[in-house]
Amino acid sequence: MDGATTSAAYPSTRRRTIANIAFSRIGPMLALLIIVVPVTWVIVDIIVRAVPHWQWSVLTTNTEGATGGLKNAILGTLVLMGGVLLIAGTLGVLGGVFLAELAGVNRKGKERGGLLRSATEVLSGVPSIALGLVGYLALVVGLHWGFSLLAALLVLSVMVIPYIARGTETAVRQVPTAYREGAQALGMPNGYGLRKVVLKSALPGIVTSLLIALAISAGETAPLLYTAGWYTGTPKAQLFHQPIGYLTYPVWTFWDYPSNEAHYLAFDAALILMVIVLILLVLARIIVNRTQRHAEGSGR
Amino acid sequence: MKRHSGAARLLALLMAVGTMAVGSSLLAATSAGASVKIPKSGVETPPTASLSETGSTLLYPLWNIWEPAYTAKYSQVSLTTAGTGSGTGISDASNGTVDIGSSDAYLSPSDVQAHPTLKNIPLAISVQVIAYHLPGVTAHLNLSGKVLSAIYQGKITKWNDPAIAADNKGVNLPDIPIVALHRSDGSGDTFIFTQYLSKADPSGWGTKVSYGTSVQWPSTPGGLAEQGNGGMVSGCKATVGCIAYVGISYLSQLLGDGLFYGALQNGKGNFVLPTKQNVAAEAAYFLKKTPPSGTISLIYGPVKNGYPIINYEYAIVNTHQSSASTAKAIRSILEWAINKNDGNSSQYLSQVSFQPLPPKLLNQSLNQIKQIQ
Amino acid sequence: MAAQPSPDPLVLRVRRRLRTNEHHIWAWGGRIAAFVPLIALILIVAVLAVKAWPAAKVNGPGFLTRSSWNVGNAYGATVYTHGVAHPLGASYGAWPVIVGTLQSSLIALVIALPISIGAAFALTERLPRIVAETLRYAIEILAGVPSVLIGLWGALTLGPLLANHVYPIIADHMPDVPVLRYFRNPVGHGEGLLTSGIVLSLMIVPIITATTRNLFATVPPLPKEGGEALGMTDWEVGRKITIPWVRSGIIGATVLGLGRALGETIAVAMISGSLLNTITPNVYGTMGTIAATLVTQLDSAFNDGTGFEVKTLAELAIVLVVVLLVVNFIARLIVRRTGRNAAPLGVGL
Repeated sequence: MDGATTSAAYPSTRRRTIANIAFSRIGPMLALLIIVVPVTWVIVDIIVRAVPHWQWSVLTTNTEGATGGLKNAILGTLVLMGGVLLIAGTLGVLGGVFLAELAGVNRKGKERGGLLRSATEVLSGVPSIALGLVGYLALVVGLHWGFSLLAALLVLSVMVIPYIARGTETAVRQVPTAYREGAQALGMPNGYGLRKVVLKSALPGIVTSLLIALAISAGETAPLLYTAGWYTGTPKAQLFHQPIGYLTYPVWTFWDYPSNEAHYLAFDAALILMVIVLILLVLARIIVNRTQRHAEGSGR
Repeated sequence: MKRHSGAARLLALLMAVGTMAVGSSLLAATSAGASVKIPKSGVETPPTASLSETGSTLLYPLWNIWEPAYTAKYSQVSLTTAGTGSGTGISDASNGTVDIGSSDAYLSPSDVQAHPTLKNIPLAISVQVIAYHLPGVTAHLNLSGKVLSAIYQGKITKWNDPAIAADNKGVNLPDIPIVALHRSDGSGDTFIFTQYLSKADPSGWGTKVSYGTSVQWPSTPGGLAEQGNGGMVSGCKATVGCIAYVGISYLSQLLGDGLFYGALQNGKGNFVLPTKQNVAAEAAYFLKKTPPSGTISLIYGPVKNGYPIINYEYAIVNTHQSSASTAKAIRSILEWAINKNDGNSSQYLSQVSFQPLPPKLLNQSLNQIKQIQ
Repeated sequence: MAAQPSPDPLVLRVRRRLRTNEHHIWAWGGRIAAFVPLIALILIVAVLAVKAWPAAKVNGPGFLTRSSWNVGNAYGATVYTHGVAHPLGASYGAWPVIVGTLQSSLIALVIALPISIGAAFALTERLPRIVAETLRYAIEILAGVPSVLIGLWGALTLGPLLANHVYPIIADHMPDVPVLRYFRNPVGHGEGLLTSGIVLSLMIVPIITATTRNLFATVPPLPKEGGEALGMTDWEVGRKITIPWVRSGIIGATVLGLGRALGETIAVAMISGSLLNTITPNVYGTMGTIAATLVTQLDSAFNDGTGFEVKTLAELAIVLVVVLLVVNFIARLIVRRTGRNAAPLGVGL
């Protein structure tokens, strides 16, 4: 492509060829290497640190101080994920659907919801520690909830709602107009058609955004430290005045503790956390891939 | 365009909210206080209760040893422990977020003023060591407060400085720069270390920097800040020429990492090591001075063989509990913790190199515990 | 469940009724839900403002320019300034952590930008499919790995490795001239500015890459083919057509990445050294950022019985939030504007 086909405007020179190979071949490959190597390294590093002393009892026993197991933290993280799915999932999906389909246009013919959309985007830019600080000041202390499940859930939900809302809005917007017209032609009522036709087609996109939101909430530390507190017992079905454990706490706290047992616990928690996050990410990727294949197939 | 206007409106709205919120800022403060004595010897049998403890990372390893032992004996109680730092311990106990807070530092007058029902109850005695990383030097270096003060002010920058050599005749000090480590997080360790520097060098450190859980550290060449005691040890291990102040419960990790600790100059001018006897001598001197509240620092006493940096580890508890049964459970745990046959026995304390409370202080702590109701 | 034929006419009627009115459920539920982010944002700003206002009154504008973080003597007298209680001698200045935040984010951008553009090229241009797929997975995982895990790796593995084997080599060969002087000894032990910048760069690569890739996809093929017809090499097409076409978009993507870097908390708290009142003398030294300061100091701030340090941290949080809001606004405006008119205005080939 380089040497033979050059024209007068861009004559071939050795320098240009070298520059081309350097930047359009080696450059991206280098960038690839610089990304792939650390990602693999982080994962392998955690496995190497956790596996040699791994004991399955970690999954079935609670934390005792800085030793013991991680059952409380694993269950706590799952409870938090479930709660986030419930609160942020509902609000995020509803909000996203509203912005995509129902906000309508104003009298000048411009789309409404600009303020709400901006608020959603701005919220996603608020650093998580600021959310945690507000959660502590307003909920834990201000409303006297104490370290509690609800305080943690609200802070986490506020954090991930923007992701879910944006993901949902994008997914719903990508549903072809023809689908909506088809639903109307079939005489479906608006809301029913929305659910049965539009949302059904947008479902993969929505689920993907939910999975990503779950991965984020499983991996967060800063907003939880001062809202969820830390609890070494099995999580309790109590919204107030009851702290709860979660997997990022042992990593953040135990990694520079003075005992090897504490280090092991930190590495175990890191490994379990990584497995949970990777499962969620892989699920999201599978859904996206499958949907894309379908989309290509439907283009007959 | 439409989005732009949305963004602009949002900014305006947020600014308005910020202003309004400030304008209508409200503060509420309530306080209550009373005291009824519940006489009992030994350890009360607790009711069924679920309690939580947060605070000092120095005391945390001990709570981790205490918790299983206590709950094994009284299985009706569950206790959650967390090492969040002394500050959280104090504030969580004061606002009722946890039942027991732990702290290396006693309550400040402003704490007491804001929360009159809050007590600091001594539970055990901890020690601070000054560690250093000098390959080839296996002796316990003699370090005076003045020298440490000069090091942390950046006035002594080499290990073979004449001022250090004068205190360590016969030790071959290397010609390498000193890297002074301090804690980046506010901590009780910083509190007692800077108190030592202030007392040993009143005209220098005492007036220029003073003491606190975090202080305005003078800028030193290559100085480093580390998070937590663990960070101090691992940072010191990685840095040849470092010097660091570390809580004694990290002693085994410190020695395991090839670090050594120094003999400190005490109030009588002697260089002493943190041995059991030397710590006990210092504690005995301050015992007479310890007020019923337990609020005192055990630093730089004029004792011949007293080790100059030791401190009480405190439980921070609100004496005014919401329910009688919670109060009883808290009393039970604390009574157990300071009992010399239970929590204060060497079986537990020696694991973290802490020292037990002297008998007189034990009674003072018990009196404070009895006020929890 | 397979209750077969002819359901009750009443059930049918209710069901039909629900179907015709389902619209209202969606509309009203959606309307309420869509307002949640706005309300949350308002509450966040309000809570921080209420807490920060007394601190701002005492600290004054000098808060942004002073280089001190002096909590005062918590065990001394409580004094009142403008009616706000604080310990004697309390004097707060955020300048070092502001500088630290900017320095670490700048390093992160300098490293991440070329990598991200390279990766975006690899994803959109003609690399073998397997390479592009691997890259896409790697970036997705990188975006999803919790920052506490990246911090753990940075603190235990990357930092010591760099400090023991990489930094000394760089430091020993740097001449004592402006800029490069900052790369001279001492190299510390891995916690510090450069390590933080490197780790941050990893964390923002996914954002910049994803946005840039989307931008590249908007470049129409015709100009590119035209460039090729003129005998341009792939590199020249990229440099003279594709990148200029989306230049402002890339700037927007960069600013978006900057927002993430500025606000990153946990990983930086684990590897920066969390210094409060000193600006690092070279790139290896320990430092602090605003976000890391919030998480590491909040605990000890509770030691201040007057509550003044907590209020000051709220003020610090407001500084960070305002900076991030502005950065995000700018980024999104730029990205959108590019999205709308993609033609490279005034950029000749």
